[in-house]
Amino acid sequence: MMIQEYTALETIDLLLRDRAKILATTQAAGDRDVMPMLRTMVATIAICMAIVGAALGTYRGGVQIAYAAVKLPLVLLGTAALSAPALTAIGVALGRKPRFAADLALVLSALAFGALLLAACTPLILLGRSIDLDYHRMILCTVAMFGIAGIAALRMIASGLAGEDALGWRAAFAGLCIVFTLVGGQLSWALRPYLVRPRAPEAPFVREVEGSLFDAVTQALDSARGIYTREAAPVPSRSEP
Amino acid sequence: MSVAIDTPSPLPRGFGLAAAALAPAAIGGILATQFAAVTPVAVTPAIVLGVIAATSPALYIALAATGEAPRVPAVARAIAVALAAFGIALTGFVLPATFLSLTSISAVTSIVIATVALGGAAVLGMRRLARELVLESLSAWVVFAVWSIATLGIAGRLWWDLARELV
Repeated sequence: MMIQEYTALETIDLLLRDRAKILATTQAAGDRDVMPMLRTMVATIAICMAIVGAALGTYRGGVQIAYAAVKLPLVLLGTAALSAPALTAIGVALGRKPRFAADLALVLSALAFGALLLAACTPLILLGRSIDLDYHRMILCTVAMFGIAGIAALRMIASGLAGEDALGWRAAFAGLCIVFTLVGGQLSWALRPYLVRPRAPEAPFVREVEGSLFDAVTQALDSARGIYTREAAPVPSRSEP
Repeated sequence: MSVAIDTPSPLPRGFGLAAAALAPAAIGGILATQFAAVTPVAVTPAIVLGVIAATSPALYIALAATGEAPRVPAVARAIAVALAAFGIALTGFVLPATFLSLTSISAVTSIVIATVALGGAAVLGMRRLARELVLESLSAWVVFAVWSIATLGIAGRLWWDLARELV
């Protein structure tokens, strides 16, 4: 069955109702056949994550709504673009047929599914804002929502690779998970903040470059052991709320 | 007896072998950018290819000595396929590794990222080599394990020396 038979909305409906069919189509399709699906998935991710970003931005309001709506789609699409080649490369190294477009379609379909789940969580984010849920609880709720969506997306990728039953699919999946975690973590770290305290006087588009997520974790571990690399912690100015 | 299998490679082997030389140079390029030194661009592929060239005869001799006696062309083919697999896997890691290194301000982070990329590709290459050689007996597996540890150990030591020199 060719994916061209479905409109974009039908493809999204299939993604929600019958993912096995989407996976079967991806496996059977050639590189050109998956192009309409790639376009649909990219658009789905962009729109859904913009909605989720805007919802997160409402926690502070103002320009942060637009900033988060622009940044969240970039994080997901950028991570897919940087990570999908690794899936193909590991698979080919272990004897799998090279299918870059199909692998990209699989990764984007899974991320689009995750993005749809997150979009479905938007009312919960808005509920948190409307009941003035405190900042740290809001962060925890957001992490939980993204965690659930991430697990669902990874499960879909695992099902797609297992269905192929190709050599080394488990190693390819494990490798993708590692690359995806590192790249996704770093890209989202570089483009933060998404959720800003309502009292914050300014909402920067991105924070100053403070190194990577790995650098931050290393520094936190050092600080926990009493090893400090600066004279003193930065003191907030009196004018700041 | 171990016999190199004859499954067709999913990509032309020439492409994989070219990748085995170029991808380590690209990983070296990440360090070259971070440390403003061109040495890693040449030294990284030299470590990979040099260590494989130096240790692969030992693998053949040891397998033959334990009664597992594949023919030389079969072992050479298996090593070429595994080297190509290493190159292709590393090619897939170049883009994420470059991104992770460029967005880091710590030199140590860049070294860790490059090490993980090279190590991951090396493990995948070793796994492919084991499959290509179709190791059957316990003694063949022991020989292969010892050879793998020695090869990774030598390459790791040379890589460590390069990293220390850069830092």
